[in-house]
Amino acid sequence: MATKKTAPKSYREIESVKAYRRLMQGYYLMATHPKWFGKKTAWITSGGPVEPLYAMGVLPFYPENYGAMCGAGREAVSLCETAEAQGYSRDLCSYARLDIGSSISGKGPLGVLPKPNFLVCGNNICGTVIKWYEIQARKFQVPLFFLDTPFIHKELTDHTIQYVRRQMEEYVAFLEKACRRPFSEKRFLKVSARSVEAVSLWKEILELSRSRPAPFAAFDAFIHMAPIVTLRGTGWAVRYYKKLKKELENRVKNGQGAFAREEIRLIWDNIPIWYDIRNLSQLLARHGAVLVADTYTSAWTLKPLDLANPLESLSRSYASVLLNLGLEHKVANMSELIKQYQADGFIMHSNRSCKTYSLGQYDLKKKVTELTGKPGLIIEADHTDSRSYAPSQVEKQIETFVEMARTR
Amino acid sequence: MSQKTSFLDLIKELAKIADRGWSEVATHLPPGRIPIGYFCPYVPEELLQAAGTVPLRLMDMPVKISHAQAHLPAYCCHLVKSSLENYLRGDLDFLQGIVFSQSCDTMKGLADIWTIEGRLPFQFNLMVPTRLNSPLARDYFRIEVENLKAALEKKLGKISDESLKEAVRLFNQIRKRLRTLYARMRLDPGRLPGKGLAQIVQAGYLMDRDQYLQLLTGLLDSWPDQSAGKTPEVPLYLSGNIVHSGDWFSLIEEAGGRIVYDDLCSGARTLRLTIKEEGDPLDALVDRYFTNYLCPTKHQGIEAHQELLLKEVQESGAKGVIFLFYKYCESYYFDYPDLKKLLEGKGFPTLLLEIEDPSQAREQMKIRLQAFVEMLS
Ligand code: SF4
Ligand code: SF4
Repeated sequence: MATKKTAPKSYREIESVKAYRRLMQGYYLMATHPKWFGKKTAWITSGGPVEPLYAMGVLPFYPENYGAMCGAGREAVSLCETAEAQGYSRDLCSYARLDIGSSISGKGPLGVLPKPNFLVCGNNICGTVIKWYEIQARKFQVPLFFLDTPFIHKELTDHTIQYVRRQMEEYVAFLEKACRRPFSEKRFLKVSARSVEAVSLWKEILELSRSRPAPFAAFDAFIHMAPIVTLRGTGWAVRYYKKLKKELENRVKNGQGAFAREEIRLIWDNIPIWYDIRNLSQLLARHGAVLVADTYTSAWTLKPLDLANPLESLSRSYASVLLNLGLEHKVANMSELIKQYQADGFIMHSNRSCKTYSLGQYDLKKKVTELTGKPGLIIEADHTDSRSYAPSQVEKQIETFVEMARTR
Repeated sequence: MSQKTSFLDLIKELAKIADRGWSEVATHLPPGRIPIGYFCPYVPEELLQAAGTVPLRLMDMPVKISHAQAHLPAYCCHLVKSSLENYLRGDLDFLQGIVFSQSCDTMKGLADIWTIEGRLPFQFNLMVPTRLNSPLARDYFRIEVENLKAALEKKLGKISDESLKEAVRLFNQIRKRLRTLYARMRLDPGRLPGKGLAQIVQAGYLMDRDQYLQLLTGLLDSWPDQSAGKTPEVPLYLSGNIVHSGDWFSLIEEAGGRIVYDDLCSGARTLRLTIKEEGDPLDALVDRYFTNYLCPTKHQGIEAHQELLLKEVQESGAKGVIFLFYKYCESYYFDYPDLKKLLEGKGFPTLLLEIEDPSQAREQMKIRLQAFVEMLS
């Protein structure tokens, strides 16, 4: 596997990355030492409603984001093996496996993770998280709040919204009990307003890559998405994305792309292959191909919250995240991305760790090509467990595909 | 003597029904009843029955997979692969519809692929909530069941309360007979091999239920008075999903073990579905899913699966537990390590067998089963 640490020459480094690092270091310092800051922490799934947590002053910790960190740092396999030694099957989602492994061994890039005060699990992304959070709730012996958002094959029905909304009220009551203080509507509105702002900024940032050349490649988005996931609802995320947006707007003004060569524009589907991002990015760059958008980071452009009716719109928004929508919606979403970003094709990561994302990709590919005329490629991997990855085969597939897309 | 003959005849007949392929299932339907497919016990069969259908359960018929690969990645359980294969080959074209229920991510994906292919005139996705320890989920599910009822009525005509109650009584009777059957198997274990029991259970999903009840009743009535004599096999509990092929039972018996009780999703677990016969039948249909723990794809508190399994294992008189799971089934594999730890801590050794394609891997499983049973005897 190619592991060169240098960025390709054609790649234009994002300057805000320094601010990004400081921000995330600060966040992880708090997340690993919540007591120093007098904070309670909650583990929360990536699609869980975080705004009420920030409103209560609780610091969210995202095991999935931690998983991405372990994957990118190539520490996932040994953590997965710890879980496997306890009987967890290798066929389970590797985010879950590595998180379980890390809480058994106390190892991982952040050392021993502090015990959370409680857990918040939303199944709007998958069914995996229910089982994973049950395991951790048993292990840590802490309360678990579970927000159930029925899957939307076709449309979001009124009784689904009502069901989710009533659970949001329960969530608030749960937080009041866990934090032993009343929920402040005022703070919640303030946090929600910041969340709305960060989400819009993130959306605008991603949309900048509709221009040619794209100032912000999907590989950049995979890195810079961390604040929209973990710090959504804080002023930090807003400030950071304002800075990033400014930098990228300048690029657009000056006609500068993330890569010097941009001949083929592609869309990425599914979670990145965290441990091989750099290699794949270089490979594509060598062929003049750029990933200009992806279905993963754009999932955090949640429907905007209606501040006049925050709980209701929170329910609507969290119930209808991309991973909670059926194939028809995914076809529409991918086709729209191709159109908006003037893409020449798409690469789909068939991710054996993430069934919710990967089931239906073959049909998705077929339908999207029918609708847009653009070719798609399916490659097989796992987002963090590199044992299930054959890099040279994937590289060959990508090379052939890019050349094919060029001639279409 | 004639009593004994009829007992054996009934066993044979039920075994034959269990072994039917889809085309034979189709030709044996009673006239006027409409075949509807479903996968999961969260679909209220009673409602389908009351609508004038024969609910037929899709449960991994042996089939060579050749069409499904174009739609599914390799990392899917065989139940989903084989069902899609049957569907794409047209084996299920005789069905007038299918009811999916929200369970795991793989099934969710299958439901969408099924829709895109659009081979059947009717598909309903019943969104069973996941948080089954909440009254909010109950209210939500009640509306979902009402919607299923309305969709069936639109297609097949009004479902009266009376016909629903009648269907409830029918399925309760079936469950009652099955419960008796399990009890008989314990008292008179030499009478029928485990494979026979599995086939009896399986047959029930592939035929008209009125006829099935008659066969079950006949079977119990003709059960010989004298015990066939005790067998010395090691009593075991079988835990797993919809893996109801008689072959597993035979393998276990060849290794010297015997299943005394199970929680297979197609087996004894469905006995937990017994419904109240009084009051509003729709309420009763809904309530049963909230009062009993049924499936690891659902959340009913963090200890629900462990508590119930331990209780059943202890009551069953089993000496050990065999876990039989489809490969790639996340819901079961996530629960497994803690279940194993709990059971072994209470003195029940466990053995995990993983099934990828049920028609393969017999030999290797046999060796592991023999070693396990030997350790227990
Ligand atoms: S299964 Fe997919 S969506 Fe669920 S936790 Fe794993 S990676 Fe995330
Ligand atoms: S066996 Fe497991 S993976 Fe397969 S459909 Fe059932 S719950 Fe889903």
